[in-house]
Amino acid sequence: MPASKEQIITTILAVIIVLLFFGILFLAMLRYYNYRRRQAAREKREMQAIFDQQLTQARLEIQEQTFTYLAEEIHDNVGQLLSLATIQLSSFREEENIDFHLLNAARENVGRSLQELRDLAKGMHSGHILAFNIRAAVDEEVQRITRTGDIHISVTSEGQEYRIKDDRQLILFRIIQECLQNCLKHACASSINIGFTWFSGQLRVRIRDDGKGFDAEHTLRHSTGLGLQNILNRARLTGGSCSIQSRPGEGATVTVQVPFE
Amino acid sequence: MALVCRKGLNAFSLGILIPILILDNVTEILGSNHLALFHTKGNYYIYNIYFLLSTPLFFVLFASMLDGTRRDKRRLFWTGAAVEVFLVINYFFIQGRYDVDTFSAQLISLACIILSCLVLTRLAIRKDDEGGLLQDPIFWVNAMILLFNLVSLIVLGIYKFIIQNGLEISHKNLYIAIMPAANAVLYSGYSYAFLLCQLQRSK
Repeated sequence: MPASKEQIITTILAVIIVLLFFGILFLAMLRYYNYRRRQAAREKREMQAIFDQQLTQARLEIQEQTFTYLAEEIHDNVGQLLSLATIQLSSFREEENIDFHLLNAARENVGRSLQELRDLAKGMHSGHILAFNIRAAVDEEVQRITRTGDIHISVTSEGQEYRIKDDRQLILFRIIQECLQNCLKHACASSINIGFTWFSGQLRVRIRDDGKGFDAEHTLRHSTGLGLQNILNRARLTGGSCSIQSRPGEGATVTVQVPFE
Repeated sequence: MALVCRKGLNAFSLGILIPILILDNVTEILGSNHLALFHTKGNYYIYNIYFLLSTPLFFVLFASMLDGTRRDKRRLFWTGAAVEVFLVINYFFIQGRYDVDTFSAQLISLACIILSCLVLTRLAIRKDDEGGLLQDPIFWVNAMILLFNLVSLIVLGIYKFIIQNGLEISHKNLYIAIMPAANAVLYSGYSYAFLLCQLQRSK
């Protein structure tokens, strides 16, 4: 075979081999890309499953907390008032003259009980909360709490107020409610400030109290209770963020930032 | 094998491979026995007719594998129509009926390479289940079509040159030396894909 023919055959074979090499390389790259993609999808699914599990756990915890809160409210406020009204009413005898002063006091206690129950229902019912904007809903909640007279709560607002999406408003309201309950139950605070700051597509709410404070980092890391974790999880559900800052003796500040657009 | 696994093939929208393979077989039988059957010296016209008949079937196969939108299918249809028109013009007017239509062969190979790359890329992007690419019969069909056509693009493209210059390896025509190996790889890949179809369907 002449040398030129040999060279042509070698060139043809070389071209075929190079083309096949690139073809196989392309297939290998596709396979590697697909492998990475499937791995990422699997990780995403696992993360989603963990998140769903946490969400379910948080929901159960929230439900449990709500039941506890309702039970405490009924026992401590309504229960006490109705007990007092029962005692007052039981002091009446058929044969005795009616003590109208005592009867009025009993009526007032029953009336206060009813008011307490209404306030409690308003605070729990999402439809009622969503009927207002977040500021008005918080104002009403603050009024309800300050009616006891043990604590001073101020609400301030900076920037132009906007309407937040319903689901986000409800979650944000529950966070603020949770923070206020924490201040009342655990912080022994005498004054609380709730500050709303509206800026470019975001609402920042800062709840600051002058209570006894706690080691926030340690509590978040080691506490078995899910109260603070619930606040963080709820903030995450809104697509926003939350930070809790506190030191023993220095009160606590919870800052929640939520997108309202 | 395709006939045995036809239910599996239909489940993966690969049923059109059956008429393609039947056409391949008929063409090869007629091409090998042309002297006895048609009393003709050359058999190129048989393969030229094969090019004309198989191209629409391949486009239907790629359309079903691409599984694109109506717009994608329309684009593919017009591309296929344009290719077919060129093949007909080449068959009748350019290279003719009795000469090997290398232009047609090259255009078909090129179209198959591009379309198989598209199918493979789409498959790699879309597929995110546990099976992976290697468990997908469509991957094997397209991978083999791609590799086969990379070889045939060169070998069929310079077929006349090979014949005219008598290019040989181990006393065998270069075409005869290379294409059977490429065909063996192609049909082995098809067979594996058919088995996968059947296995996955039975699962």
